[in-house]
Amino acid sequence: MGADLLSIARSGARVARGALDVTANNIANASSEGYVRRSVAVSEVSGGTSLGTPAAINLAGARITGIVRNADAFRQSEVRRTGSDAARASAEVQGLENVQSALEQTGVYESVVAFEGSLKQLLSDPTDGSLRAQAVEDARTMAQTFNTASQSLDAAARGLQFEAQDGVTQVNRIAGELGRVNLRLMRAADSSSDQSALLDQRDNLLQQLSDHADITTTINADKSVSVMLGGPTGAALVSGATANILAMTTAANGTLSFTVNSQATTLSSGAIAGKAQALVELGGARTQLNAIAAGIVSSMNTAQASGVDLAGNPGQPLFSGTSAADIAMVASGGSALATAPASAAAASRDVTNLDTMRTALASADPAGAMDTLLFGVSSAVAGRTVTRDALASIAGSARVSLQAQAGVNLDDEAVNLVRFQQAYQASARVMQVASDIFDSILAIR
Amino acid sequence: MTTITTGSTGAFYERSRLDMKDLRTQAESLQAQLSSGSRLTRSSDNPVAASRLRSLSRLETLSQIDTANASRANADLTLADAAMSDMADAVIRAQELATQAASSTLTGEQRSAIATELDQIGQNLLALSNARDSNGHALFGGEASGDAYKLDAAGKAAYVGTAGSEELPLGEGQNVTRSMTGPQFLSFTGKDGSATDVMATVKALSDALKTGGSTAAATSDALANLQTGLDTLTTGQTVVGTRLAWIELTGERRADLSQLRSTEETEIGGTDIATTVSRLQETLTVLEASQASFSRLSGLSLFDQLR
Repeated sequence: MGADLLSIARSGARVARGALDVTANNIANASSEGYVRRSVAVSEVSGGTSLGTPAAINLAGARITGIVRNADAFRQSEVRRTGSDAARASAEVQGLENVQSALEQTGVYESVVAFEGSLKQLLSDPTDGSLRAQAVEDARTMAQTFNTASQSLDAAARGLQFEAQDGVTQVNRIAGELGRVNLRLMRAADSSSDQSALLDQRDNLLQQLSDHADITTTINADKSVSVMLGGPTGAALVSGATANILAMTTAANGTLSFTVNSQATTLSSGAIAGKAQALVELGGARTQLNAIAAGIVSSMNTAQASGVDLAGNPGQPLFSGTSAADIAMVASGGSALATAPASAAAASRDVTNLDTMRTALASADPAGAMDTLLFGVSSAVAGRTVTRDALASIAGSARVSLQAQAGVNLDDEAVNLVRFQQAYQASARVMQVASDIFDSILAIR
Repeated sequence: MTTITTGSTGAFYERSRLDMKDLRTQAESLQAQLSSGSRLTRSSDNPVAASRLRSLSRLETLSQIDTANASRANADLTLADAAMSDMADAVIRAQELATQAASSTLTGEQRSAIATELDQIGQNLLALSNARDSNGHALFGGEASGDAYKLDAAGKAAYVGTAGSEELPLGEGQNVTRSMTGPQFLSFTGKDGSATDVMATVKALSDALKTGGSTAAATSDALANLQTGLDTLTTGQTVVGTRLAWIELTGERRADLSQLRSTEETEIGGTDIATTVSRLQETLTVLEASQASFSRLSGLSLFDQLR
């Protein structure tokens, strides 16, 4: 009987010891990313018998039946879903902001207005060399700012494509790791500490993956996870230990398309999708910018051709090129501006053709078109920023809510520490009692 | 307090971090508005206002060119006015001489002296009619680049400029003709019904005086024609004066519009300092309060209490 008491106390001490270890581990991981608070599941040992009343009472101590991982699958999937949306919106806004600064900070609008202005000023004296030079130099500046804006758009597009490519690499890396975690999960024993660590790793990887692309997850019976990319009907990225390869293709117009194992996939959230959407918007902005540049080239060159320059020769083209990337000022100098009508003599002060030029420029309205383009892009940025902020705050509260449930509360752990310490000391006291009882039997003489 | 007791420690830190980050971002954006003096740092801060600001700045740029054009027109018209005053003085002197020459008591020498002075006046008139504008072109030559009047083989001044003067835009769709062509204020219909001009009249009188003989008819014709010429010249001067007044009027209007534009710019894009400062103060107060409460709450640890 004394030995029984001793073994019960020993099991109690062991349970308390285990619980203390888990508490210490929780405290140590209070700020670890993706760590889910653990607790010890304890149950009574059945099967022991007592001498007097074998059927009525069962005295065999306690044992640890498993480590409980306090993760809420719903909150975890919410964190992944909202995080994926927020990452998409944030990447799109970032891309659009680059487009906006490419168009706005290069000063295309200002240079167009300056060119308009210098043509207007030329009216005051069409034969004045300095006014003519100013008009031609303003034309050159305008062409160059169009080039710069086009190059900035190219740079923004390259940046987005590079980041999307990096995202694809990350997705493939994470998918590979998930495959390995799945394999080990299939082999790990149920409710072991080893399994809990693997599950933490699994959930952490899923959360990282959801930042890049929209994933649909299915948790299998053996706690391994199957991941679909691009919605529930999309392509399988990870199933069991197998990870498929996500690949990205860049089209000629800079837009992106994706395949998983050569099967076309549409991504609707995640940072990669945001970058792909920003590239579509960037393509639209580039088309408009090219149209504005082409409008300037054709209207000004047509107007030039209908007049004569300062020397009385027929007007030659002022610009070459057909898009923002290749528009260039090709006039030989200020005297090449055909301000006078076709019949006029050299050095004529007749401004009829200058008026034609100004009318042509006013009807092509590059300043108005540029304003419309800037307005379109900036209101897209403004609108998407509101969406992004909303999605970011939703994702933030989902994360806080998961952490509130699954994270470590140091106050709780402090209480647990004291509680399990007391339990341990109580079990030790029971051992002392068992020993005392045994001694009192031996002391009979 | 509830965050600590119900949530995990990590959630408490995360939530506090998010809240304080938001406040700090707000305070920084207010500070940026104050230091730049502009509510908009990028178009996307307010796309409609940014678009309006762009068109306002475009109007302002073009309006400055209108101002430059107006001051050129103003300079040219003032030069034209001065030249025309000088011409009027010359014509009046010619009238005096013609009146003297009309006297029957003058000797031949006196008449030829008058003729010499009239020739001089004729040359002055030619020089004045070829006066240059602020760009160095003929003031009264229309759109011609050289002289307005040239002497022909017979020594008569002939107009070689174009028929009209160029117009300059003054903004808001208004234009002004920057000068007058010579014939517009020098040519008139003479006493005999034929077209003539002041310089021809002076030359005819001088020629008549040099030939000698009876000059009564010639001086009487010349006096009548000079009077008509002076009237035409004065009319021309009135036109120039009206145009100068017109430039002044459009100039005032341009200044008013420019002021309206800058007022609108300030209203749309400028920082309202009083409001922004008080909002900044409010944000900072809230931020300080939440930092203070955060440090008190995070200082609460059960581990400190358990011994």
